[in-house]
Amino acid sequence: MKILMICTEKLPVPPVLGGAIQTYISGNLPYLSQFHEITVLGISEPSLPNLETINGVHYVRVPGQILEIYREGVIKYLESTSFDLIHIFNRPRLILPVRKAAPEAKITLSMHNDMFNPDKISTEEATAALEEVSNIVTVSDYVGNVIKNLYPQATAKITTIYSGVDTEQFLPGNHPKMQKIRNEIRKEHGLENKTVILFAGRLSHNKGVDRLIRALPELSKKFKDLAVVIVGSSWFSKDEVTDYVAYVRAMTNKLTIPVVTTGFVSPSAIQNWFAAADLFVCTSQWNEPLARVHYEAMAAGLPIITTARGGNAEVIQLNENGLVVENPDNPVGFVDKITEILADKSKMQNMGKKGRELAVSLYKWDRVASEILGVWDKAIHTSSSSVPQALTNNDEQLISNALVMSPDPIEVKSSGIKSQNEQNYKMETNSEDEVIEESIILLDNKPEPELVPELVPEPELEPELEPEPEPEPEPELVLVPEPKKEKEIKNNRTKSKLRTLTVRDLIKESLRDSLRMMVIEQTISDMSKISSENSIKNLIRELQKRKID
Amino acid sequence: MDNLIIEPWETDDLTDEFFVPDYIEQIAQEVLKSYDLSVNSKQVITTKADKGGAIWKLETSSGPKSLKLLHRRPTRSMFSLGAQEYLVKVQEARVPPIVKTKDEKDYVEAGGKLWFVAEWIEPLVPVTKDLEGAKHLCYALGEFHRLSKGYEPPQQSEVASRLRKWPSSYEKMIKKMDWFRNIANVYRELPASTHLLNVVDLFEEQARNSLTRLNQSSYSELIKKGNAFWGLVHQDYGWSNGQMGSNGMWIIDLDGVAFDLPLRDLRKLISGTMADLYRWDVHWVREMIKSYHESNPLTTELYEILMIDLSLPNEFYKNIKEVVYDPELFLNDQTTQLIQTIVDTDQTKWPVLEEIAGDWRGME
Repeated sequence: MKILMICTEKLPVPPVLGGAIQTYISGNLPYLSQFHEITVLGISEPSLPNLETINGVHYVRVPGQILEIYREGVIKYLESTSFDLIHIFNRPRLILPVRKAAPEAKITLSMHNDMFNPDKISTEEATAALEEVSNIVTVSDYVGNVIKNLYPQATAKITTIYSGVDTEQFLPGNHPKMQKIRNEIRKEHGLENKTVILFAGRLSHNKGVDRLIRALPELSKKFKDLAVVIVGSSWFSKDEVTDYVAYVRAMTNKLTIPVVTTGFVSPSAIQNWFAAADLFVCTSQWNEPLARVHYEAMAAGLPIITTARGGNAEVIQLNENGLVVENPDNPVGFVDKITEILADKSKMQNMGKKGRELAVSLYKWDRVASEILGVWDKAIHTSSSSVPQALTNNDEQLISNALVMSPDPIEVKSSGIKSQNEQNYKMETNSEDEVIEESIILLDNKPEPELVPELVPEPELEPELEPEPEPEPEPELVLVPEPKKEKEIKNNRTKSKLRTLTVRDLIKESLRDSLRMMVIEQTISDMSKISSENSIKNLIRELQKRKID
Repeated sequence: MDNLIIEPWETDDLTDEFFVPDYIEQIAQEVLKSYDLSVNSKQVITTKADKGGAIWKLETSSGPKSLKLLHRRPTRSMFSLGAQEYLVKVQEARVPPIVKTKDEKDYVEAGGKLWFVAEWIEPLVPVTKDLEGAKHLCYALGEFHRLSKGYEPPQQSEVASRLRKWPSSYEKMIKKMDWFRNIANVYRELPASTHLLNVVDLFEEQARNSLTRLNQSSYSELIKKGNAFWGLVHQDYGWSNGQMGSNGMWIIDLDGVAFDLPLRDLRKLISGTMADLYRWDVHWVREMIKSYHESNPLTTELYEILMIDLSLPNEFYKNIKEVVYDPELFLNDQTTQLIQTIVDTDQTKWPVLEEIAGDWRGME
């Protein structure tokens, strides 16, 4: 299929300036592009050409920053080229204009933030836009539920696809590739023989690191070897010290335990800090969609303490890979949960291991991509509402309104001219929306563009150090993923499908579905490159890894 | 030169307040080439080193002008420039007209920022620091608010609006009271900490009450009328940005204008003036509101919002919020004094607010 992916107007793809959505797109492209002809339409960026093709993916870049300007470029482009399917990222307000310019295409939508909230899009426009999309993919159940509550009619179209992480970039500190780095960082920052608590994220009230700081005096009474690492921008820079940063700094200065603040760390180096840490704490106070740092912490083999806000807790299996603070407003919750983990070193270790296992088995990009492929396939095969009907007069009106509408009361926060990393401008709003997530924090991100080619899926086995998910006991059974105890299943909010399939079932099902067939073929062809023994067992294992269910 | 990005600059003992880095001066020269002006002299008048902004006064063959380097994002600055143009061209307000470039543009983009030239209004004299002066300021402010209604920002600008943000800014004040408390607690040994701890609960309670009242008021209905209906607030209005010219009051420095209910400017002017008096004076407050009302009539609903906004612990918050930057320096004996003054002044506020609460009953 000819597919167009429309990015947001904030940051370029590949994520040379970071950004969660941009990282997500780039993480998936190597897989998606094996099955479809993909064009990525995004914003222009001085360091990138406006037109290029890399590894078979076409990139088209038009001016952005302001949605209205970007929309013009998008429409103009669509007038010249047609697609079977258009996948729009996080911008419901692009749907109607896109539909008008591409009446024949199927439209799917990815939602990374609460962009359907009434202050982001009018009810009329949202209702009409939801009619036009075949499917909506959300990064967490939380994000999907917010949309369902606002627009129950969209319920059937909404699916959660959890994001992914590069498990080769983020590795545990005891991994051979990381040991040296871990030791060096710890030595350099006086963290040797310390238990290092890591926070990574923007320094803002909503991200709430002050609650961790306020929990420390109590914790330091119980544990003598504590240290904290805060990876986040705008700590030192004089020009960018917000009142919040100043507050956190003032509180930190009176602590007796060492607190290392890194300032901004490039997305390509951030894994080093994860590898240097022992425990990851997310202190978010706001209803966060589901922060990428959770996947990164899991991949780095860190036990996680997160908050029951937004979608964050959805990737935590209680007591397995982490704990959840129910009332994150009160620092006592962090004292309790951190104590619980630190007091039991073997539990702490097991949680880290479990996190790594989950990252490898559930949160790799190939799994994300295969789910997206499934959604696209479904969209193409739906015949009903998404077949472009003649637009009603009302739709026409909404579209033309959307096209001429002056910018709405939402403050547009363009991300600046120089690198976002050194966010130069004081933002004038406090609202913690996706714009901020995309444009300021660059910590939750991954690859540099040159890494992308390496992401082409290779059925490499995990390094030996990593416990490979247990091989299935009987060759006739494919367990997707490994079976879990009743209790675990209850805790597992990741919606992994726990079905037991026979090989025959599997093959039968995949034959029904041309897409899945292609995945299998691809797998076989990949495997033949690395192994001469194309046994059915290997194939099954590989399919299991790729989550063909 | 093309790739230079203007950034805030450091100042130290060797630089004076008029210091502007050379590269910015060079960009300024380049910018002036876009104008059909023969510049005889150019002099820095004011700088915002910490943000990267500056103003020059130009003597030209066609009279004095100002050249401004706007520190905000270019798209944000476009909003303000559009407003200035609207006020001058459509509403004939007394704000400085923008001088066009050779190709009829309002501004030049250079160094990643917007620059523009405007008429330098002469003479301009600050109004007297008495009730008469305060009334002039209030009347001129009302006029400014009234004339700014109907402004539609240029397509490519970002819309600056505070209209929907009142509840969140009230919440922020409440939240930061907790910061003040936490800081005073960990810096207990400093002279002002105990005093701060003694009063912070009181002011937090005041802020909470204000938020409750705001939520119960007609605020949510009023904001539905939208940005253009309400027009702009100046956000930095006072004795220096409102001055008397030969034909009436002029309003300058419009860089920070934003859509909002037209009350915050007035509230700031009133509570700031009362702080300068060290006590709330019912006569002054009434006269100031009345002067404003003459040029931009207040409805009962707006008056209620004004009362709520005045009930916030504005002066406490404004003065104490600095504590986060350097507690050890801030929490000194002087701050103890300052807190006492704020508390004393605050005690005179409540009888005044009570007395004037009913003034607008039955209006309209």
